[in-house]
Amino acid sequence: MILHVNPSSGVPVYLQIEAQVKQVVAAGALKQGDPLLSVRKLAAELRVNPNTVARAYQNLERDGVIRTVPGGGTYVADEHPGLLKSEKVRRLRPLARQLAVESTQLRLNAEETIKLVEDELGELGGRK
Amino acid sequence: MTDAVISTQGLTKIYPDVRAIDGLNLNVPRGAVYGFLGRNGAGKTTTLRTLLGLSHPTGGSAQVLGLDIRKDHVAILQCTGFVSETKQLFDSLTAEQLVRFNRGYYPKWSDSLVERYVNLFEIPMKRPFGKLSLGNRTKVCHLLALCQGADLLMLDEPTSGLDPVMTDLLLRVLVEDHVSEGRTVFVSSHHLSEVERIADWIGIIEGGKLLLETRLEDIRQNFRLVLASGDSASEIAAPNLVSKRRSEKFHRYLVSREADDFVMRLRAQGMTILEVSPVNLGEVFLGLAGKELPCIPGNPGTTRAIA
Repeated sequence: MILHVNPSSGVPVYLQIEAQVKQVVAAGALKQGDPLLSVRKLAAELRVNPNTVARAYQNLERDGVIRTVPGGGTYVADEHPGLLKSEKVRRLRPLARQLAVESTQLRLNAEETIKLVEDELGELGGRK
Repeated sequence: MTDAVISTQGLTKIYPDVRAIDGLNLNVPRGAVYGFLGRNGAGKTTTLRTLLGLSHPTGGSAQVLGLDIRKDHVAILQCTGFVSETKQLFDSLTAEQLVRFNRGYYPKWSDSLVERYVNLFEIPMKRPFGKLSLGNRTKVCHLLALCQGADLLMLDEPTSGLDPVMTDLLLRVLVEDHVSEGRTVFVSSHHLSEVERIADWIGIIEGGKLLLETRLEDIRQNFRLVLASGDSASEIAAPNLVSKRRSEKFHRYLVSREADDFVMRLRAQGMTILEVSPVNLGEVFLGLAGKELPCIPGNPGTTRAIA
């Protein structure tokens, strides 16, 4: 698992780790049941405080992306998050809004904007 | 905070010509990586030396690992791994001899760590210390401090003289072998990017006074830079305002929490808000210790309350 964090970006490092793990899983580079590095190993790899990694892992587990076996490591969760559709929409809406604002500002039309999103979804292997 | 590894109450050190540290109230929780930041001459080294009993305070009190710095400084030195700012040891001894000399003093000394670090950091063991480059002296100082099995590491400018590869390695072994073992690391530095990686607590000292003590995560989560424009005549004051800067009709405010409230107050005064953005450690440091800033509320009491 190759992650990269930038502690100076102002974005909390645990959020950077969360986003990257989600991306790696969404892209299928890590599959269900694949092991993740331990908190200690990943902290050493990234040269960041272990508490930061532990916090990211806790949040990822809460979101159903990974699961931790007590005393037996951390794995990509088998089931995709069993969240309600409404909750999934609620989480994505701020990103959608941001995309809408930016594309309006850049004077892209709706079709072009949607095409972009479709391309990105395609890059992730056409997952629905 | 009850479980503090280092705590000071109004710690003060006055030299005839300067107040080197001035009423310092530090709290370093157990297991923290505490980045102690300040400009050159801010009082970092004096603080470390005073905490270790190498320099005597002129006022206030302090406990390190539960021991009183005035009475128990020998015991404190024995259970603390210390790397000094000057990186000085006996010039005529080789690293090999220094290791042999040191290991007898520390019951928890680890020979396996010596082997690991000598290989990892490519430390020349057979040359007299006095003939080593600054970088290699720094490595030998770390070798002695990191292998003694101390519960507390006090590192004064730990990366001075190290190249980027060695700096990166040092950060790695600090995280892997020490922080992950629950040890407390107190590191004084002005290299913000290194501290920003591994620290979870930050103290900023300037002119011998502690200007800020908080969790690093608190800075990322709650601190905001607010850019506004307007000719507001009445000066805005708020307990969450850390610093402000003005250039003609443009204002930069650094707030430590509740940025939304602050923004509403600015709007109520007729100001236009241009941007509200998260800040990194460097911006906070410059906001507090930066030179062209005349106005700092300088109230550690309020900043401590957020922590």
